[in-house]
Amino acid sequence: MKIGILYERLRKDEKALIDEAKKRGHKIILINDREIFFKLEKNELDVDIVLERCISHSRAYYAMKILNEFGILTINSSETAEICGSKFLVTENLLKNNITTPETVIAFTRDSALEAIEKLGYPVVLKPAIGTWGALCSKINDREAAEAVIDHKEKLGSYHHSVYYIQEHVNKPGRDIRVFVVGDKVVGAIYRYSKHWMTNIENNQTIEKCELTNEIRELALAATKAVKGEIVAVDMLEKGYKILVNEINYTVEFSKILSLFDKNIVNEIIDHVERKYSEVQQ
Amino acid sequence: MKIGVLCSRIRPEEKLLFQEIRKRGHELVQIDTRKCVFDLEKKNYFDVDIILERSISHTHAIYITKILENRNIPIVNSYEVIKNCGDKVITSLLLDKHNVPTTKCRVAFTAKAALTAMDDMGYPVVLKPGVGSWGRLISKVESRNAAETILEHKEVLGTYHHSIFYIQEYIDKPGRDIRAFVVGGKTICAIYRESKHWITNTARGGSASNCPITPEIDDICKKAAECVGGGIVAIDLFESDKGYVVNEINHTMEFRNSIKTTGVNIPEIMIKYLEKMVNQKNEKN
Repeated sequence: MKIGILYERLRKDEKALIDEAKKRGHKIILINDREIFFKLEKNELDVDIVLERCISHSRAYYAMKILNEFGILTINSSETAEICGSKFLVTENLLKNNITTPETVIAFTRDSALEAIEKLGYPVVLKPAIGTWGALCSKINDREAAEAVIDHKEKLGSYHHSVYYIQEHVNKPGRDIRVFVVGDKVVGAIYRYSKHWMTNIENNQTIEKCELTNEIRELALAATKAVKGEIVAVDMLEKGYKILVNEINYTVEFSKILSLFDKNIVNEIIDHVERKYSEVQQ
Repeated sequence: MKIGVLCSRIRPEEKLLFQEIRKRGHELVQIDTRKCVFDLEKKNYFDVDIILERSISHTHAIYITKILENRNIPIVNSYEVIKNCGDKVITSLLLDKHNVPTTKCRVAFTAKAALTAMDDMGYPVVLKPGVGSWGRLISKVESRNAAETILEHKEVLGTYHHSIFYIQEYIDKPGRDIRAFVVGGKTICAIYRESKHWITNTARGGSASNCPITPEIDDICKKAAECVGGGIVAIDLFESDKGYVVNEINHTMEFRNSIKTTGVNIPEIMIKYLEKMVNQKNEKN
């Protein structure tokens, strides 16, 4: 079949996926999100299915939204990208499905945000509702810090900064857990250790294999289902004996940690693409 | 019934709606988005039968309608309508998908690709932010040189939504466009917006006059409203040499200049629509 790869840069991850797909006899159509433009009145792409591997969320979402409206299957779907790209929608979908997640409050102005922060109690975490790699996340320990961060946001703020996504700070044991899901299978999990409160930034991060327990496995699958995900990484935080789902990523990076997986994730992804396409054909 | 109105700044439109709500014997619950704090673990926030969304900020409207709908509080417009109308890429996709005549559009993600798309479409073209209103930051691009300059500025100054390049075919309209109001599947009235400037928004100085609703206008407007999810919307139409084409659809419309002009009591029809929604819901239960 003809597999489109929607991408910005061909990193090791994308190269591994392309090699595997070619080995199985599929034709690869490269779609660079920096080069392409879409005519909204008609589709001009000749592909059976598109595997999304973008770096930018907005490009991934809009490209998949357009393709999905044309009737072209994408993995993940634009709906999953829309949900996972917004921390707010992730929280809402998790809560709807009774999955435990850090307590979250939404406000829209300086004063109401401060009120919400005080009510939640320090420390809190303030995150842009849309964003990745921990960019612009702040841990706020007291009132002075809250005022300073919010005043800066108000002054510097672009479009998405007019929403305050405020979350309880989970006092985790110096690590978080990232669980990789492909289709309805959990293919592996890692601990990410860091002395920084943000364990998902790559600097000074140590990675270790996390042995899967039934609890982690079930939680990861439930979270994946809650966002209608197919290939996702579910980030979890340990709060005492409880495990909370924090965020869900829909463009999974894996090449640096291949040896830590229980299953060959590249094979699993291409298997899933094939399975998905044949399901829709029937 | 108890009607909540979600708003921030009170414009003449909101004042007219408040009057109408009270006149019809309902209890008005004013909800100021600037004071709202939503603890997402809570299941309810307001004691109302229905909420009318009149927020000036599209972002706030998007978040609040989602929060309320997830907790089964009816809100007009719905999250779906606000999402579909607030994003021009999605509006165009839906219009094309449902074969509603609309302007040709191109979407690109970098200045370089946008330039290729504009060359492909042929000048002049219109470049718009994917999200935005009142005709702000819209450019009519007459030539490749102009395109290069505008794109460079956008790239340097750009925020998040500026990295989506929405490029539209320029329609050489007869110095005016049409704004039609659709409430609950009915085209209730329409105005011409005339201007010597190519941007005809009344917020930008365009002047309004009554536009009689012909069967053609009624037909295209009803279809356009339906494909974004119904509710209360304003449809902007161009008169092109191929007939009417839909330009944009607005989800929190302003109508202060349209009541006298058309002789139609727009706020009354809006509140009657809310009453109908509540009655339908009560009958179902």
